[in-house]
Parts: sequence; C-alpha cells; structure tokens
Amino acid sequence: MKHVTRRLRGSFKAGWLLLSLLLAGCGVNNVTIEGSFPSPNINKLPLSIAVFYDNALTDFAYMEYSETGQEEYNIESGLSHVRLFDAVLPAMFEQVIIVDTLEEAEALQVDAVFAPLIEEFQLALPQKTKLDVYEVWIKYNMRLVAANGDYIADWVLTSYGKTPTETFRSVEDGINEAAVVALRDLASSFSLSFGQVPEVRDWLASL
Amino acid sequence: MSVQIRLISRFRTLLLLLGGSLAACTSTTVDEFRQGETGIESDESVVILGRRQASDYETRSEFVECVGDRMSRGEDGIRVVPEREFVDAMFPWFEPRTAPLRTRDLEQLMAEDVVAMKMQEFGVRYIVWLDGFTETTGRSGSISCTIGPGGGGCFGFGTWEDDANFDARVWDVGSLTNVGTINTDATGQSYLPALVVPIPLIARVEANACSRLATQLKSFVNGS
Repeated sequence: MKHVTRRLRGSFKAGWLLLSLLLAGCGVNNVTIEGSFPSPNINKLPLSIAVFYDNALTDFAYMEYSETGQEEYNIESGLSHVRLFDAVLPAMFEQVIIVDTLEEAEALQVDAVFAPLIEEFQLALPQKTKLDVYEVWIKYNMRLVAANGDYIADWVLTSYGKTPTETFRSVEDGINEAAVVALRDLASSFSLSFGQVPEVRDWLASL
Repeated sequence: MSVQIRLISRFRTLLLLLGGSLAACTSTTVDEFRQGETGIESDESVVILGRRQASDYETRSEFVECVGDRMSRGEDGIRVVPEREFVDAMFPWFEPRTAPLRTRDLEQLMAEDVVAMKMQEFGVRYIVWLDGFTETTGRSGSISCTIGPGGGGCFGFGTWEDDANFDARVWDVGSLTNVGTINTDATGQSYLPALVVPIPLIARVEANACSRLATQLKSFVNGS
C-alpha cells in the first residue's frame, strides 16, 4: 500500500512539474527597464524646483499583447524614469527637492513644482513590424506649477528610441535597449527645450 | 569501413582547402575625397561617432569601436576617444536627435561654452562620422541536420553575399569644416557546406572594411 502511494506521489510530482513548465512557456514576460543615465552637460538655471513623482509615474507599466490577444510582455519603466529625472534635474536647476505631496512643496517656498507624467507608451517588435529594429515611443505630459499650485506651464513631449536586432540578443534585452535610448532622448529634448516652451519662457522672463 | 572513413576524411580536407581559398574572396574598395589640409599633434585626439539618424538602420557601435581600436594601434597610432565616453560626457548634445548633421551645426554647438570646454578637455581635433551598415543578400541553398541513437550529422550547402558600405566624414574641430570623406565598400561571398559537420567559410567583409577604413583614416588624419 505504502509503495503504491509513493509511486502515485511521484507521478503527481512529475505531472505537476511538466504542467508548470508548460505554463511557464505561455506566461507573460516581465521586463524591468534598467540603464544608466549621464548628467547633462548644460548651464544651470538659478531656480529652486520641487519635484513630485506621481504614483502613476513611479508605478508605470505597459502591457504588450500578442497578435492573438494574449499578454506577452509587461514592461515596467516607472522607476527608470525616476532615476532619469534624478540625474537630469540637478544639472538643470540650482536646487532640486523631491517632495511626496504637492502640499509639501508649498511649505518649502520653491520657485516651481515639476510633475512629469507618462501619457502613452508604444512598442514595436521586429516579429510584428518585420523590421530589424526594436522601437519604443513614449508620450509625456510635463506640468509646472507655482508652489501655491498656480498654473505655470503644461506641455507634451515625445521621445523615441530604437535598437537593431542582433544574433543572440533576447527580446527582453532589445526592448530594454530601445527604452533606454528613448529615455535618453527624453532627457536630451527636455533639458534642451525647457527654456523654449512658450509658457516657461514667459514665466522665466517674469522672474 | 576504414576505407570509407579515410575517404570522408580526405573529402573534408579538400573542402577545408577549397574553403580556405573561397573564404579569402572578399573585395574591398576605398575612395578618398580630400577637401582640406590635415595633421594632428601628439596631444590632440580623434573621436569616431556612428550616425544613428536613419529610420531603417543604424551604424553599429561595434564597427565604430573596431575602427577606433585599429586607428590607435601601431607606432603612428592616434589617440582615439571612445564613443560612449565622449557621448556621455557631452550629453545631451550628441544624441541621435541632437547631434550636429552639418559643420554649420557644429559651429553653433561650439558656441556653447560647456561644449567647447569639454571638447578642449578631450583635446578633440577631428570628429569622424561613420555612416553605413552591412547587408546580407542572395541567400540560397539548404542544410538539414538529423540526430539519432547512433549519432547525428548535417548535409547540404548554403551560401550568401555580404556587402559592407561605410562612409567616414572627417570634421576639423579647429576650423569647423569638413576636411574630407572616405568611402569603403567590401563585398564577399560566404559558404556553408555540411558533410556530417557544417564547415562555415565566412567572408569577413565588415572586419576587412574596418581594417582598410582605419588604415586610410589614420594616414588621412596624419596628413600623409
């Protein structure tokens, strides 16, 4: 009796392992965007800025579906955006303070509060586009308000990144590389165009 | 049985010999167009950057690295600033969307004090813009492999053609002008015969293009 139970348990374990392996093959692949971002080599603006990272930004994730509608790639890029802004903003402004709430910024008496948001994320995979590149396109909403909450500026910024397919490069690595290029593109256009946004330009002139 | 093994061995040696001669079938053409005088001091350096503006291709960083590596070799080697180090230090001025496309753009860029200072720190005398890619065409043939309890093996034949075409534009940071262009075009046919074991006979077109371009660039920058 004992022998039969043991054999049954063994078969059950083997079946369970096989099922797990099969399910793992059909599951969603998680990609957490990781990369290092250099500090911009630009002249600083003599401003004190508070930065508010909304949960919508820090927890941002994009789900790519397969052609049959199955969940295929879950791309988590929220924290990489925070790391990017943490590298870029101190090079752009004299003082940068990260705040947890917009109310906290009011007490700090800063010149402005900056709150970035991701509006849209798009991914193009070589197996779908039939091109030899991975592409990432991100649309942002940049908001700048005064410490008391008064409106200063609200503008849209887009970034684009691509990376070629390579032998022995995994899809996850291709997505990560393209996303890192897109994040660098965001940093470059944001840092170079900040003072040229009409509302920001007017606000800077009024200081 | 022993005769069969000996025959297979002889056939493989013959294929290898034939392959050796076929693998060398790469032809490289280098064209130089000089527009200005060049020369470089020992304390000056060159930075080689890949163009990444095109929508359908981008210059591979491995090729850029290969050219830089070969230019810095030898007795008359030139100091080459690594691409990644330069682009990161210059961030955000040399990103795909912000990099200067013409020497007029470089002139505007050099008007930025932070850029001019960093360029001086690196001692950059020439910026070399590499633009190109390697294309594989004319794939034909087929190879099938089988595996069984007694062993495995492949049989068949495959062939393809590789074409590496790269342009190198040389900008003089001192005079803010384009001093010349060097074009390299390397083509070669690769073969993959398989008789039990596949024997790849690869035409090293990109490696040849890199080597020839680096040699030409070195003598161009040295002014010889």
